[in-house]
Amino acid sequence: MSGWAIFGQAVLAVVGGGIVGLVFRGLDRKIAARMQARIGPPLRQPFLDLGKLLVKETVIPKTAVAWVFSAMPFLAVLASFTALLYLPLGPFRPILEGYGDAIVVLYLLAVPALAMALGGFASGSPLGVVGAQRELVMLMSYEFPLAVVLVAVAWRLSAQGIAPAFSLGTIAQNPLWPWVGPLGVIGLVVLLVTMLVVTPAELAKIPFDIPEAETEIAGGLMVEYSGTYLALFYLADVVRTLVMAGLVVAIFIPYGIAGVLGLSGAAAAAVDFLFWLFKLFVVMVVAVTTVRVGMARLKVDQVARGFWLWGTAASLAGLLLLALDKVVMG
Amino acid sequence: MKAEQVLNALKTALGENFRNPELRPRPVGVAKKWTVEEIWAEVPREAIPQAVATLKSLGPLHISIISGHDAGEHIELLYHLAVGFGTEGGEVMVTLRTHVPKNDPTVPSICGILPGAETTEREKIEFLGVDFVGIPRRDHVFLPDDLPVHPWRRDEPEVEKFLHRMVEWEKGHEGKESAGS
Amino acid sequence: MKEKRAQDPNDPVLPAVEERELVYGGLEAGLGEVFEVPIGPIHPALKEPIRLTFKVRGERIVGVQVRTGFAHRGIEFMGMRQGRNLIQILYLSERICGICSISHPIAFTQAVERAAGIEVPPRAQYIRVIISELERIHSHLLWAGVAAHELGFDTLLHLTWRVREKVLDILEELTGNRINYAIPIFGGVRRDITPDQYPKVREALRYYRGLLNELLDAFLRDPTVEARTRGVGILEPKEAEELCAVGPTARASGLRKDVRQDRPYLAYPDFEVKAITPEDYGLTPMGDVYDKIVVRLLEVGQSIEIIEKALDNMPDGEITSFPKIPALLAHLKKAEGEGLGWHEAPRGEVIHYVRLVSGEESPLVWKVKAPTYSNLMSWYPMFEDQEVADIPIIAACIDPCICCMDRVYLVRDGKEEILTKEELLRLSWEKTRRMAR
Repeated sequence: MSGWAIFGQAVLAVVGGGIVGLVFRGLDRKIAARMQARIGPPLRQPFLDLGKLLVKETVIPKTAVAWVFSAMPFLAVLASFTALLYLPLGPFRPILEGYGDAIVVLYLLAVPALAMALGGFASGSPLGVVGAQRELVMLMSYEFPLAVVLVAVAWRLSAQGIAPAFSLGTIAQNPLWPWVGPLGVIGLVVLLVTMLVVTPAELAKIPFDIPEAETEIAGGLMVEYSGTYLALFYLADVVRTLVMAGLVVAIFIPYGIAGVLGLSGAAAAAVDFLFWLFKLFVVMVVAVTTVRVGMARLKVDQVARGFWLWGTAASLAGLLLLALDKVVMG
Repeated sequence: MKAEQVLNALKTALGENFRNPELRPRPVGVAKKWTVEEIWAEVPREAIPQAVATLKSLGPLHISIISGHDAGEHIELLYHLAVGFGTEGGEVMVTLRTHVPKNDPTVPSICGILPGAETTEREKIEFLGVDFVGIPRRDHVFLPDDLPVHPWRRDEPEVEKFLHRMVEWEKGHEGKESAGS
Repeated sequence: MKEKRAQDPNDPVLPAVEERELVYGGLEAGLGEVFEVPIGPIHPALKEPIRLTFKVRGERIVGVQVRTGFAHRGIEFMGMRQGRNLIQILYLSERICGICSISHPIAFTQAVERAAGIEVPPRAQYIRVIISELERIHSHLLWAGVAAHELGFDTLLHLTWRVREKVLDILEELTGNRINYAIPIFGGVRRDITPDQYPKVREALRYYRGLLNELLDAFLRDPTVEARTRGVGILEPKEAEELCAVGPTARASGLRKDVRQDRPYLAYPDFEVKAITPEDYGLTPMGDVYDKIVVRLLEVGQSIEIIEKALDNMPDGEITSFPKIPALLAHLKKAEGEGLGWHEAPRGEVIHYVRLVSGEESPLVWKVKAPTYSNLMSWYPMFEDQEVADIPIIAACIDPCICCMDRVYLVRDGKEEILTKEELLRLSWEKTRRMAR
């Protein structure tokens, strides 16, 4: 593929990703509201929010380290959108395939969190500092299970003799489910559950919205951000939701329905793409919306202990089961 | 606990210092008639801690509030205490009245015996200008720290001035005739 | 965990404060990076203005400073010194607090009735009891919702506040207002509860009776709520007693302290109220936030029972001993004496002291004690060695009513205030009309 073609696709993916992300956020808010017996905002509310933030004044506090404070929102947005380009978009292969693999996605997912933490530290507000500390603790606790999940799947693929195993495109094209035995299925289910639990943590949603914790530290690391910068963080968050859901879909449920419906060509691609969006939506509703409606916010030490103990144990158990399965199945 | 019991205990402990004790019956209930008895008495300010300690030895002690007012020559403080909660109708309300002369407005603090009295003692410091000796914290509870007056003192012409100024200031901000300038 | 303070319980006469280590809130910051986290006076966790300055090391609280007074309105001063008569002051007392807006009038009218020697007819006493118990239901549900919100559990907030609407509707039906009911007046009540209103009240009570178990389940069986509230903000019984905590704050620590039980007033002896502690739910009282939820929810059930009993045994007769206001005012102007009035508000003991002087329309002394005033000190031991994440729920767990507690400071020009109020009222009417269209 030529550079210009990639560039064109990337622009398309970024614009589309932003729009789809905002629509999904609207759906998320609407569904959560219905679950809480509220009417909820209209679907276009995230667009209105974003537009409003963009025209608002952007305040940089006097006590802030100005350049870090202003650079971090851009870093967060860039990293989120770049991660999107490494994801298989339904029937289409990742736009940046060949320029990096799943490990890069892991890093790119960690970058917005780091950017937010640095922004919080740089904001010069004690609430921001507390929020940033919490964000770092969270980052350290959920990254390991997430990495183990990816490694387990990739290792099983390479054991099957498929390369490049660490490419998300390859992972999405070769779902593991048909190859593994009963042990492996249990292992994959364990990994899937781990991944679904990590998702709200990665996205800092209730019960893991500890770094922002509105009632505790008044928005924490976001407390000093306003206007354009806040809009950028909002956009990064929206896209990150897509990326996390996309990651779950790519690893565990990469199936399309075009084959079942007997379609081919452009129609098949269109149907599969829509189905892929639907799958993202389902993952989002399951892992983010219902969870954030049904739980109270946990404390950072509870989360850290939970992920270090149970998250790590679960992901390692999944890895072990997959390895055992390989031994049994040969 | 019976009101007489509390009254007798206070009488024995305070002796001369326990003045004009009064039992005020308070009929309550409609179908089930009942009488709640309140104790009202005067105690000189030095004997307040002793009285409170005596009450504490009788049972669980609760301080509702210290109310007070400026009675011209002196400041009158009323300690509204309740002793012996936990049983039906078993709590006795005790009100101890004490006089604090204005030229020496000090009272021994009861925070050492009943830490819960701190808030109300601090409030009296800012509103009536009474000083409590031995109170652990004396910063203001409600009023701004730099407020120059004790609003409940009736001999403070400053209070009216202060209020007056406030109103004038607000008028000025309403765009009416600005009196301050 | 907590370092217990040295104290000899057998020694009734305790040494002066300087010699004892019994200064609550005197936490010392130790080693490590300590910085201050200010909470308030404006903060999303606080619905009312108060400033809590925390000294924090990492996530641990090593010190706290409480500063109140941001909502001081000078209500006692207005009552004592600005020439208002007692009926005008009754209105003021109603506006001390928006949530317990019958607790203060009930205590105030009792104090004045004691001072002026006014009898209250039995039916009026029952009506006062019914309205104040309905208020308890609404207030506890309100608190439960707020507590859920502080924990980040917004779904529970929305659900509890939705079911709370029912009791507000009943209060509006009985009194004409959702809050500020203006029911008690010296010598009785202003509105009767008519027999055709009984079934409506009973229906609402049935609704809440059915709902209570669901609410208990939703709050007490939820693992995340339990994880956030068990062992958080502990107030030991000894501390609760020494710091004179009142209401559910004290009862959650296992103290059977309830003014309705300890020194009953009005018609309360008829209902044989028992103070509720977590023991009544089969738990050992720990004094943490979880216990405070238990106590408040159980008290909703207790209030339902009291109201039902009151409706069943409602005496007939007059609702006020002074049907004519001028006669009442004349009687009050002649009256001389002092009196105390108390009431167990949803948050704890409210107490009013009034002294009347013959020939004066205003009282010589009027002192108000709101429940939060007593519970303020219990924050110090509760915040000790807790985490930053626990601040909102601990701050909320005494159900603070700051505007109740803050009463004196800025005295405004009466005229101007009325104007502002009318302006606000006009705006709200316009909004209602706009929405109705």
